[in-house]
Amino acid sequence: MSEKMKVTYYPGCSSEATGRHLDESIRAVMPELGVEMTDIEDWNCCGASIGHIGGGPLPQLALNGRNLSNAKKQGNEHVMTPCAACYLNTHGSNLTIRDDEAKREKVNEALKAGGMEPYEGDLKVHHAMEVLVNFVGMDKVAERATNKLEGLKVAGWVGCQTVRPFAETDDGGNYDTYEDPEFLDDITRACGAEAVDYEPKTNCCGGSVAVMKPEKTLHLMKLLLEEAEKAGADVISTPCPLCQTNLEMYQDAINKKYGTNFQIPVVFPSQLMAVAFGMDPVKDAALQRNTIRAEKLEKMARK
Amino acid sequence: MTAAIPQPSRTYDLSFARWVRENVKGGDKMNLCMQCGVCSGSCPIGSEMDNGPRKTFMMVRAGMKDEVLSSSKLWNCTSCYRCYVRCPRGIPVTSIIQGLAAVAAKEGYAPKNKVENYYFAKAFWWSAETFGKTDERLVTMKYFFSFGLAEGIRKALDNLKVAIGMIKAGRMHIGLPHTIKNKSQLKAIVAKARELESKG
Repeated sequence: MSEKMKVTYYPGCSSEATGRHLDESIRAVMPELGVEMTDIEDWNCCGASIGHIGGGPLPQLALNGRNLSNAKKQGNEHVMTPCAACYLNTHGSNLTIRDDEAKREKVNEALKAGGMEPYEGDLKVHHAMEVLVNFVGMDKVAERATNKLEGLKVAGWVGCQTVRPFAETDDGGNYDTYEDPEFLDDITRACGAEAVDYEPKTNCCGGSVAVMKPEKTLHLMKLLLEEAEKAGADVISTPCPLCQTNLEMYQDAINKKYGTNFQIPVVFPSQLMAVAFGMDPVKDAALQRNTIRAEKLEKMARK
Repeated sequence: MTAAIPQPSRTYDLSFARWVRENVKGGDKMNLCMQCGVCSGSCPIGSEMDNGPRKTFMMVRAGMKDEVLSSSKLWNCTSCYRCYVRCPRGIPVTSIIQGLAAVAAKEGYAPKNKVENYYFAKAFWWSAETFGKTDERLVTMKYFFSFGLAEGIRKALDNLKVAIGMIKAGRMHIGLPHTIKNKSQLKAIVAKARELESKG
C-alpha cells in the first residue's frame, strides 16, 4: 500500500460498552500501520442483526443511510469498522443504496426529512480486517511486531459476519474465503505467536440469540471451547465484539451446565498486535478489560 | 410493499409465494430452490427450530402462510450467513428468512406466539431510536421485564454476576445512556422511513 491510508471510522455501539477493548486496541494499532482514522460525525446504531424485526427493513436502511451521509460529508471515500454487525449493515446498506434505485429514493426522502444531504452509495465500506489484509499487508504487521509473542498458542476464531457474506465478493475486497479463512492465523503469526489448528474457526456462537436465550446456544460455545482446549490454545482470538463477549461471559454457565472447567481467555487480534507492537498493556492493548484475564499474554506485555 | 398480503384459500395456493417474491428481499430468487437442504444442514441451531430454511421455502410454495409466519425458524436465526454463502443456487437464504421475520413481526404473528426474539428486537430498536445508540444495559433490562415483573427480576438476578464482571472491567458503565447529539434528526429520519414503508 501507499504509506498512509485515511479512513472514516465507525466504532459502533459496543465500542462504548462490552467491546471497549476492541475499540481501544484498534485505535492504538491502526495508526502504527499507517491507517489514519477520523470518526464518523455523530454516528448512530446500525440496527445489528435484529433491526429489521424491531424497526422494519426501511427504517434500518435509513439508520445506516444517516451514518453514510455523514461519512460522505467528511470527504473521504473509505469507511472502516471493526465490528462484524456494523460491517454487515453498513456495507450491505451501502450496496443496496448504490444498486437499488427505488430504495435509494426512499432512503434519501427519509434523510431529507432530517435535513440531510442525499447519499448515492459511492463510498467504500471496509472491515478493519480487510484493511489489514488488502491495504496494510502482513509484512508490515510483522515488521512492526518488535515484541514477538513467542510461545503463545492462539486459536483463531473468525466467526460469521466478518467473512460472511462479503469476504469473497469484489465489493467486499475479496480478502479471504468463507469456509477456511487464513487472515486471522496470518495476524497471529505476524505477531510471532503460534496459530494452532482450529477446526471450528468459522462457527457461530449464537450471536444475539445467545444474548436473549443462552440455553439455546450454550452447546455451540461449548464446542468452540472444547476444540480450543484440545488444540492446546492459550487464548482464543476473534475479531468480533459479540463473539468475544459471548464466549467469555458464558463460560461459567457452560461449566455449570456441562460440568466442565473452562477458563479460556478470549482476546481480539488487535490486542495481540498491541502487545506485539510493544505498546501499553492497559491504554493500548486494554488487557484489563478481559473478564477472563489473558495472563500469559499479559506477561509478554511491555512493563 | 406493493400489495396487501393475500389470504390463500386452498392448498397450493400460489398467491403467498407470489407475494413473497414481490415483497420480501431476495424473494425473487426463491423459485430457484431445488430443495437440496444444504441450507438446513448448515444451520448452527437447526436443532432448535421447527422448520429449517429448506422446508420453510417449500411451505411458502404450498401457500402455508400462517405456518410459515408462526415458525420458530424465523426467530432463532443467528444471522451467521452459512446458508447464504453455501446455497448452490445462489439464493440469499438469510435475507429471505429475515424478510419473512419482518413480515411476521409486522403482521402480528410474533407477539401472538410469545416470541423472545421479537421482544428483544423491540427493546433493541427502542434504544436505537430513542438514544441513537444501543444501551446494552437498558435493552437487556427492558427485554427481561417484557416477560413480567417476577420473570424480569429472576432473569436480572441470573445475570448479576456477569453484569458485575462487566462493570469491573469497565465494559458496562453506570449513569445515563450514551446518546447521539442530533436525536431529533434521527427521529425525523426514522419516522419518515416508517411512513414510506407502511405506504409500500
